[in-house]
Amino acid sequence: MSYLSDTVHPRRALGRRAFIAAIALALLQTGILATMVTSHAVILRNGAEVLLKAAPVDPRDLLRGEYVILNYDISGVPVETLTGARPQGKGEQRLSVRLKKQADGYWGIAESSFGSLPAEEGTVVLMSLPFDYRPSDYTTAIRVDYGIESYYVPEGEGRHLEQAPAEGRLAIAASVSAAGTAQIKSLLLDGKPVYDEPFY
Amino acid sequence: MRPAGQGEEMYRGRLQRDIEIWVGKGLLEKGQASAMLADYDSRPASFSLGRVLAVLAALLVAAAILLLVASNWEAIPRLVRAIGCLVLIWAFYLSGAAFANRDQPQLATAMLLLATLSFGAAVSLVAQMYHLSGDEMTMVLLWFGLACLSAALFRSGSQVVVAGFLAWLYFGLYLEAHVSDWIGWAPYAPPIMAALVLALIYYTGAGRARHLVYLLVIGWLTWIYSLNQGLGMAVLYTAIGLAAFLTVSLPLPPLAGLLRTAGAAPAFYTFLVVAIGLLMLHVEIISGPRLVALGVVTLAISVGAIGIRGRDNGAVRYLAYLVFAAEMLFLASETLGSIIGTSGFFLVSGLLVAVVAWLVIRLERRFAGSRKPEMAA
Repeated sequence: MSYLSDTVHPRRALGRRAFIAAIALALLQTGILATMVTSHAVILRNGAEVLLKAAPVDPRDLLRGEYVILNYDISGVPVETLTGARPQGKGEQRLSVRLKKQADGYWGIAESSFGSLPAEEGTVVLMSLPFDYRPSDYTTAIRVDYGIESYYVPEGEGRHLEQAPAEGRLAIAASVSAAGTAQIKSLLLDGKPVYDEPFY
Repeated sequence: MRPAGQGEEMYRGRLQRDIEIWVGKGLLEKGQASAMLADYDSRPASFSLGRVLAVLAALLVAAAILLLVASNWEAIPRLVRAIGCLVLIWAFYLSGAAFANRDQPQLATAMLLLATLSFGAAVSLVAQMYHLSGDEMTMVLLWFGLACLSAALFRSGSQVVVAGFLAWLYFGLYLEAHVSDWIGWAPYAPPIMAALVLALIYYTGAGRARHLVYLLVIGWLTWIYSLNQGLGMAVLYTAIGLAAFLTVSLPLPPLAGLLRTAGAAPAFYTFLVVAIGLLMLHVEIISGPRLVALGVVTLAISVGAIGIRGRDNGAVRYLAYLVFAAEMLFLASETLGSIIGTSGFFLVSGLLVAVVAWLVIRLERRFAGSRKPEMAA
């Protein structure tokens, strides 16, 4: 462990510089954290709400804790919904996905594109996270993530959610910003929120 | 630069033994001997149990904070947890600055460690609050950047070590997601991060953090090879390794000054790249006259490395012996295995190992011999 200690320098007293450094670093980190929190809170507060069908699996992250992996009906984008040009070569791509409310109340894919999609009344455009695209004639659906695939729960509660029958009972209300960033607003079991989700 | 930590304690013991031997042979006066030991003991000790324990305590407390966030404990409201993290960050940085000024570097180190790790806890908490996923690499990048900044502002070696580990975490997260693909800009990050951390190592003097960086770069290079396996790539890998090894081994003016403080490590790690390259070549070339040529080249490279750096760099010397011996045995098994039976093969291998041992002993004796006239001079 001794390599972790700061010994090699004959340490001059840093004087006021140390305090300026401490305050600068703490201020910077406060700023970063405040920006992160507000940017996410704004989406929850002002975004367009959509309802998505989900199914859970139950792993755990070392830093963020126990969570439920959510797999959505809209995670596989059928190629027949694609409009506009497709990229020729393989590479990193993002998909714009237009969601529309279906008869059962959940939102489904109406249209998708590798370019951008214009805003349209009664629909919400969601941006996928970047993914590795390989053109192939045999692909029937493109698998994408939207950054809303994890729902973090208090320790020990993931199993309880997992035991909810997968068929149709679990859903997510998500909030989508104008730029297409989605964020989980609440987790619904039989149509009722499982946890309170304050903005902050 | 003095060796730190455990090595230092061992050096004190060796020094004392050697001095006793020299006194016994009449090379040193008793008074001179005790004066030399007293001088050594009067230097500021770089190993202190207190400092190590302070760092260990800081790591344990930081782990507790990180895991408290991860537990998502409902007894503490979310907002209280978030504000708590911010308060911790401020408190740890300010007390770190205070301890640094009061000439208590051990406590300052511990506080800065806690501050930087608390930022990681705060970032994880935000991700947990808003159920974010797929953003882990961006978060680690941000964390790495702040650790570097903190290392530069406080000139703190421990922060450089944290940055080194975060660089590994970043590369690890990338490999976890796309181990067999080169996607976007993230794959360029490891060498850039390594360069940044190396610059901070020179600035702060955190010598041992170097190994983190060298291993990161070697891991990255090996990963690139795994993406583009092939003869050309293996040749390129070996050639680049050789060029780097020669660059750090031959005392060229602009680099020599920088490398003097880096010790034995650069030559060892660049030669390790050469050894990995040779291993890849052996995966690519499996038979025929090219294999014989490769065998000869491998043996020549290992002997050459011993010739260039063998005398003053034990790590390079032993790696070169290993390459040399492994190549001899490999060649033996390739050419003889198909001709005679297993029992005969073991007999031949035994004799070959004896030949290798004889060669190595001769080489070692030659170095011992060439060292003597220098001592006399």
